[in-house]
Amino acid sequence: MSYREDAVDYWSDLTRAEQGVSGSIALFAAVLLVGLVTGGLNPTYFLFLVGLAGMYALMSLGLNSQWGFSGLINFSVAAFFGIGAYGAALMTSDSSPVLGGFDPILGLVVALSVAAVMAVLIGVPTLRLRADYLAIASLGLAEVVRLLVLNERQWTNGSGGVRGIPRFFENWPILSTFPEAMPVIEIAVPRIGFSIPGLFGIIPGLDVVILSGSLIVLDSPFYQMLLNISLATIFVGASYLVLRRAHRSPWGRVLRTIRSDEDLARALGKNTYSFKMQSFVLGSVIMALAGVFYAHLNLFVSPGDLNPITTFYVWVAVILGGSGSNRGALFGGIVVVTIREGTRFLNEFGWIPFDTAPLRLLMIGFLIVLVMKFRPQGILPPQRELIWPDAIAGSETKPERHTNQQTGGDTNE
Amino acid sequence: MSDTDTTADVSPAEQSTVDESTAEQSTADGSTTDDRATEQADEPEIVLEVEDLQKSFGGLVATDHATFEVERGTITGLIGPNGAGKSTIFNLISGFYESDGGTVTVNGTDVTNREPYEVAEQGLIRTFQTPRKLEGMTVREAMLIGPRNQPGESFLTLFTDPATVNEAESANLADAQRILEEFEIDHLATQPATDISGGQMKLVELARAMLAEPEILLLDEPVAGVNPTLRNTLAEQIRRLNEQGTTFLLIEHDMEFVMSLADPVVVLNQGSVLMEGTPDEIQTNDRVIEAYLGGGT
Repeated sequence: MSYREDAVDYWSDLTRAEQGVSGSIALFAAVLLVGLVTGGLNPTYFLFLVGLAGMYALMSLGLNSQWGFSGLINFSVAAFFGIGAYGAALMTSDSSPVLGGFDPILGLVVALSVAAVMAVLIGVPTLRLRADYLAIASLGLAEVVRLLVLNERQWTNGSGGVRGIPRFFENWPILSTFPEAMPVIEIAVPRIGFSIPGLFGIIPGLDVVILSGSLIVLDSPFYQMLLNISLATIFVGASYLVLRRAHRSPWGRVLRTIRSDEDLARALGKNTYSFKMQSFVLGSVIMALAGVFYAHLNLFVSPGDLNPITTFYVWVAVILGGSGSNRGALFGGIVVVTIREGTRFLNEFGWIPFDTAPLRLLMIGFLIVLVMKFRPQGILPPQRELIWPDAIAGSETKPERHTNQQTGGDTNE
Repeated sequence: MSDTDTTADVSPAEQSTVDESTAEQSTADGSTTDDRATEQADEPEIVLEVEDLQKSFGGLVATDHATFEVERGTITGLIGPNGAGKSTIFNLISGFYESDGGTVTVNGTDVTNREPYEVAEQGLIRTFQTPRKLEGMTVREAMLIGPRNQPGESFLTLFTDPATVNEAESANLADAQRILEEFEIDHLATQPATDISGGQMKLVELARAMLAEPEILLLDEPVAGVNPTLRNTLAEQIRRLNEQGTTFLLIEHDMEFVMSLADPVVVLNQGSVLMEGTPDEIQTNDRVIEAYLGGGT
């Protein structure tokens, strides 16, 4: 069989949702590539955005393993993110008011441990109760953590935030000097411009001109960002692989049963309290991982990073991507960052007579309404049976495609 | 693992993995782990014992000093007019409700007010009146929740010992397929679990409960809303499983179904046991007829 036939087979094996998502990702990548090549998009800034996307993807994966797997409603995504960020910052920063100066690896371990302990503390009283109580408790936790960080100056430096956070790879042998060691590359971009004429002078035209002589510079900040992206890739990749295996395992199956019908799981002898606790702690630790990454990406954390809006964005990402789907969570996280950051450029089109940036939230809200109306199961819900892959490979039939993800509304695939 | 009853529960497959402490314990008790036949003979004849069970919701007394037993190997019917407290008793036995008094003993172990999963560990599995829908799962996925103590249900094992998980999962998948075939619904295996008919859901529920290898299975209205053909199928299946050694306790309003299948039959009225006997005795008893006709005297 030729590669071409393989590719065709692979493509036709995908469900329509998968084909659609793959197509849009390819298109989006092409647009980004054009932006990069023409110099319209600064490569260093672009990598920063990729880092942000990775951060949101991590938080979505974390929330997905709570809400998507077991149906746990957690409104304190920002708090666990903040615990991760502040944990790493306070452990490693040289201006840290409490500890400081430790290796980032140690900061990572401490931050994740604190998040896990916090998750257990909030889980113990609430996970035995109905789902709503966890929601309320987590809402409270989010505010408590934010206010503590803001007001306990002796520990957190209050509204001043924590500065002087080292880069993650600072103490590593080759990687610490990698950005400076790399040669600076400068690429001159030829003048490219096009304009779309306005319609009879009523509607203004679009005029995009890349300035002549603009230069793409790949210098040490660029290489630094490249390192950050590798870190994000490692974090996201590892979390994704762990969650994927867990999701397709008997463990994940119990969680999915709890989500659909907890009493059934209990009647069949599953200790649902313990399973919910595991799911909650796992998700919280992954959210904290996003915080650790952010601390070493931004090199500065402040109480503003714990704003509840982060929680909202992450919920949007998970619902948009399709609850219960790890790939959906990844996809949703990236889409949310694209909308959040992409809308910053809208102001550059002079013909929009108002400031568009503040409308971002409205747009995201509108998007969610559309998704709920036309595709309540999300864009990329689980597409196939979730049975331990090797076990299903041993039997004659391969994993079946799902035909029933819709919880109402149209038929899928 | 403190008493011999727990040891007797261990299935042959698990026996090889039983740790040394259990083995020592058995020897201390005067029996060894390998003479399973003797142990089986030692298993109590009474698999479920409900004694003086009480439960009230506010001023409403739902279970009023109910006492009855289920003998090993029987299909025991639990009947009574609406509001007699049948479902409450099921919930009390299986650990879903906390009782106000009395005891529940499964296989000689006191499980009063234990968590449902602890009751299930003793070999008591229950089904529900309305079939539970598992969204986003196929029938065989829904079946695979049945087996108890799967190694893959431990998060750590997934990463430390995937081979064991794989082995158990393959075995469970084969078991699920076999049981679906025995129930003659193997053609549904890859159907979405939410897309099958109500009667088929009842069959799947029974089949899944069997994967948990119960010693006693509590069925809450297994044929409610099921057409006559499927009802006969269900009756046949229950009879077949009973012959293979599973004890049943079932609530059912369909008198024809209960009387043809169950022996003995326990009649509940207003939360307490009115009488217990063979179907013939029950059907000719004046007090039972009176209770059903709603005679207030």
